[in-house]
Amino acid sequence: MLKKYKPIFCFLIILSTSLAEDDDIGNIIPDLKIRLLDGSKTTIHELVQDGPLMIDFWATWCVNCKKLMKYLDQYHQDYKDDGFKVLMINTDTPRSIGKVKSYVRAQDYKFHIGMDPNKVISKKLNGMVMPTMILVDKGGEVKWRHQGYIAGEEIQAKNQITQLLERNLEEKIEG
Amino acid sequence: MKKKLKGKVLNKAYFIIISSSLILADQLDMNGAVNSNFGNSYGFYDFSENILDLNIFYNDLQGWIQYEYSNPPDIGFANNDIRKFRLEYSTGDLVLKLGDLYEFWGRGLLLNQFDDQVTNFDNGTRGMLIEYDNGMFSASHMNGNSNIWNMGADTRTPEFNNIHSMMANRIQYNRGLMSLGLTQLRSNEEHDVNFGPSVMASHNLKGAYATWAGGNADFFVEYVDKVSTEKVTMFGTIPNDTLIKGHGYYQNFNFYLGNWGLSTEYKRYSFDKAYGDLSADDYGNQIEYQQMPTLGKEQNSTLLGRLTHNYNFNDERGVQLELNGSLLGLSLTAQYAHLSRNETWQSVGAFDWVDKAIKGYLPSSDISALPYWENYQEVSGYAFNDKLYFKLGRGSNKEILKTIRYFEGTQVDISSIDTSLAWVYDTLVWNDETYYDSTEVELYDTNYTSPFNVESKLWQQSKAFTIPMEVNYIFDNGYTVGIGFQYQEREKVNRSMGNATTFNASDSSWNMYDPDDYSNTYDETTSQLANSDGTVKTQYNRLVYLSISKAPKWSFTITHDMTNAYEASTAYDPYYNPLEALISGDLKYFTGKRNNIDPPSWIQNRWVSIEFAYNITSSQRISVMYGSIQGGLFCSNGVCRLIPPFNDGVKISYSASF
Repeated sequence: MLKKYKPIFCFLIILSTSLAEDDDIGNIIPDLKIRLLDGSKTTIHELVQDGPLMIDFWATWCVNCKKLMKYLDQYHQDYKDDGFKVLMINTDTPRSIGKVKSYVRAQDYKFHIGMDPNKVISKKLNGMVMPTMILVDKGGEVKWRHQGYIAGEEIQAKNQITQLLERNLEEKIEG
Repeated sequence: MKKKLKGKVLNKAYFIIISSSLILADQLDMNGAVNSNFGNSYGFYDFSENILDLNIFYNDLQGWIQYEYSNPPDIGFANNDIRKFRLEYSTGDLVLKLGDLYEFWGRGLLLNQFDDQVTNFDNGTRGMLIEYDNGMFSASHMNGNSNIWNMGADTRTPEFNNIHSMMANRIQYNRGLMSLGLTQLRSNEEHDVNFGPSVMASHNLKGAYATWAGGNADFFVEYVDKVSTEKVTMFGTIPNDTLIKGHGYYQNFNFYLGNWGLSTEYKRYSFDKAYGDLSADDYGNQIEYQQMPTLGKEQNSTLLGRLTHNYNFNDERGVQLELNGSLLGLSLTAQYAHLSRNETWQSVGAFDWVDKAIKGYLPSSDISALPYWENYQEVSGYAFNDKLYFKLGRGSNKEILKTIRYFEGTQVDISSIDTSLAWVYDTLVWNDETYYDSTEVELYDTNYTSPFNVESKLWQQSKAFTIPMEVNYIFDNGYTVGIGFQYQEREKVNRSMGNATTFNASDSSWNMYDPDDYSNTYDETTSQLANSDGTVKTQYNRLVYLSISKAPKWSFTITHDMTNAYEASTAYDPYYNPLEALISGDLKYFTGKRNNIDPPSWIQNRWVSIEFAYNITSSQRISVMYGSIQGGLFCSNGVCRLIPPFNDGVKISYSASF
C-alpha cells in the first residue's frame, strides 16, 4: 500500500511545484457560503458581483495578520467606489472567538469579516498559512495569491489591486 | 481488522473517483497545497512529514483529499496513505457531506471538531452529514466514527486510542438579530485505559444556545447537560449503570462604545470532579468532541506562551474581561482572567480528600480551589509615517499548581487514661442461693482535651512577570529591520504553613509542629527551580531576536533564548552549535578542540538559531532553520503538548499553493 502511492505522491509534489509558478491564477474561486461577523450570510460570488475582492485569513493572536489588516482596511475604503471589497476571514477558535468583534470595533475596521472557526473555508481556499491574500476579480477569477507577510508587502498588494482596477476600467472603456 | 480493511478500501475508492474526475472532467476547478517539513538534529529529534491537500470543485460537488507521506512525523504515527477525504454536494438549501467531517456548533460545549497537527489532536468524524438551511431554520444530522489518539508519556508518539461511534443533531432558528439552537450528541465509546481491556461507555449530551447581536452590545450563551453510562460486561447481563452526570455553561457578553469594545466571558464546566489530575483511567467525563472556550489569553509571544495554564474542562469556572480600544492612534488591550475549580478541598487523611462546593457563581481565591490569575496589557502602533511599528506588552500570571496536603480544622488529644483497678462481680443463683465470684480488672477510660485548631498546608504555586516588546522599521530602499526582546521573571515554589506537619495514619491525627506548644507555627517556602550551582529563587528568561527582511522576497532572523534555571535537573547535552560557541566566546570550538566529553556549562542555558525564509514565488515559500530550540509545554486550542528540545540541527519547511 505504501509503495503503491509513493510515486503518485512524488508526482503530485512535482506537479504542484511546477503549477505553483502560475498559482491558481485563472481558476474560478468556489462559491463558498460565508457567515459574517454580524450574523448575516453571504457567498463569495455575491461579494464579487460589483468588483474585485481581496480575501485574507487572520486571527486575533496573529501579529503579522494585524499588521497587514491596517493596510487592507485602508484599501477597502480607498477603492470602494470602484466596487473593490476586502473580506477578512477570521479563524479564531472558541478560545478567542468572543474577542473578535471587540477587536474589530476598537480598530474601527470597515471591511467584511467572515467567520471560520473550524477552518473549513481556510482549507478549501488553501488559507491555512496566515496571512494568505487571494485577489479575485469581478466574476470570480483568481488573479493573485500571496502567503505570509513581510513588512513592505502591502505595497505589492496595493499594486495588484490598482493594476486590476485599471485593467477593468480599460476593458470597460474599450468594450 | 475488518474495520481497518473497510477503511482502506473506502480510501482507495475515493482516491480513484476523485483522481479520475480530476483527469477526465473539463469543467473542474481545483486548488491544492503542499506542506513539507524536514528536521534533523543531534538529539535524535528527526522528522520528515509531507502533506498534500487537493480541493476539487465541479458544479455542486466539492471534493477534498489529504495525502500524507511522513516517516517519522514531528508528532504522531508514520503514514504513507490518504489521510483525509470528503465529498460534498450542495444544492439550494441542502448540503450533503461524506467523509471526514469537522463541525463546530455553538461555542463547542457539545461539538467542536478540528485537526491540529501541532498537538496531534484530531477529533473529526468519518461519516456523513446532511444539513438543511433555508435562512430562518436549519437542521443538521451527522453520524460516523472517530478514532481519537491522545498523548501519553512519550512526547512524540500517541499512546491512548479512544474510538467513538457517534450521532449528533442540531436545529437552529434565526429571527432578526437572534438565533436559538438545540443540540444533541450520543456517542458509544471504546475507551483505552492504562491497564486491561478497553472500557465501553456511552455518552448522551443535550445542549441549547442563544445568540443576539445588536449595535452596541451582543451576547452568546450555551448550556450542555451530559450523562455517561458504563457497560458492565463481567456477566453480560448486568444493566448499564450511570457513570457520571455533568453540565457546562458558558456566556459571552460584549459591549461597544465608539472605538472601544469590552468583552466579558464566564464559564462553569462541571463534568467531573476529582482531586487529582485526570488520566486515561478517569473516563465518562468531558469527551474529546467537547472543546470549549478556555477563558485565557491566546498569547503570541514565546515566553508568555510557555506559561499556559493547563485548563481543566471537567471542573473549572472563571471569568475573563478584555478591553480593546484606540487612543491617539495607538491600539490598546487590557485583559484579566480569574479561574478556579468549582469546589474547595480538605485533606482529611494521608490520602483522603473531601470537597465543598464554592458558594455563588464566581471563581474562588481559596488555595485549595487551585485558582489561576492572569492579566495582560499591550500597546502597539505606528510612527514616522507608518515606517516604525512598535509593540510593548506586560503580562503577569499566578497559579496554584497543586495542593499536597491542605487541612484547616480541629482535633483533640488524649489527656489521660484511667487505668485504676476495680472489682467486678459475677453472680450465680442455684437452689435459691446466690453465689458471688469476684475478679479484679484494670479500667481503661480515655479522657480527651478540648478541641484545638490544627492547620497543615503544603501546596505548589508559580508566578511570573513578562515583558514582550517588538520594533520594526521600514527603510526607503525596502529593507526592514526588526528587533524583539522578551524578559521574564518566574518563581515556582512549594509553600508549607501551619502548626501541624504530616498526617499520622496510625492514630488518625496530625503531627504537631511543636508538640510542647501548639500555638507555634511555621511558614516555609522552597524553590522548585535549580541550576548546576543549586537551588535558584527566580528564573530569568530572556529571548532576543533580530530580523532583516526585504519584501517581497526574503527574511533572515537570528534568535537567542536564554535562561538561568530549570524545574528539574537536566543532563548536559554535549552537542552545541557554532552560533552558541561564537556568542559565548568559545573559540576552541572553531579550532577543532570542541569538548564533547565535558562541554562548557553555559550550553545548557542558551539556545541560538538562525532562520532564512525565501519566497520563491508569491505562493511558494521555503525556510531553513539551523540551530537549537528550547523544548517546553506548547498549548493550542486547550490541548497541550510537551515539545522535546531540538538540539543543534536543521529544519527545512516548504509550502506551496497552486
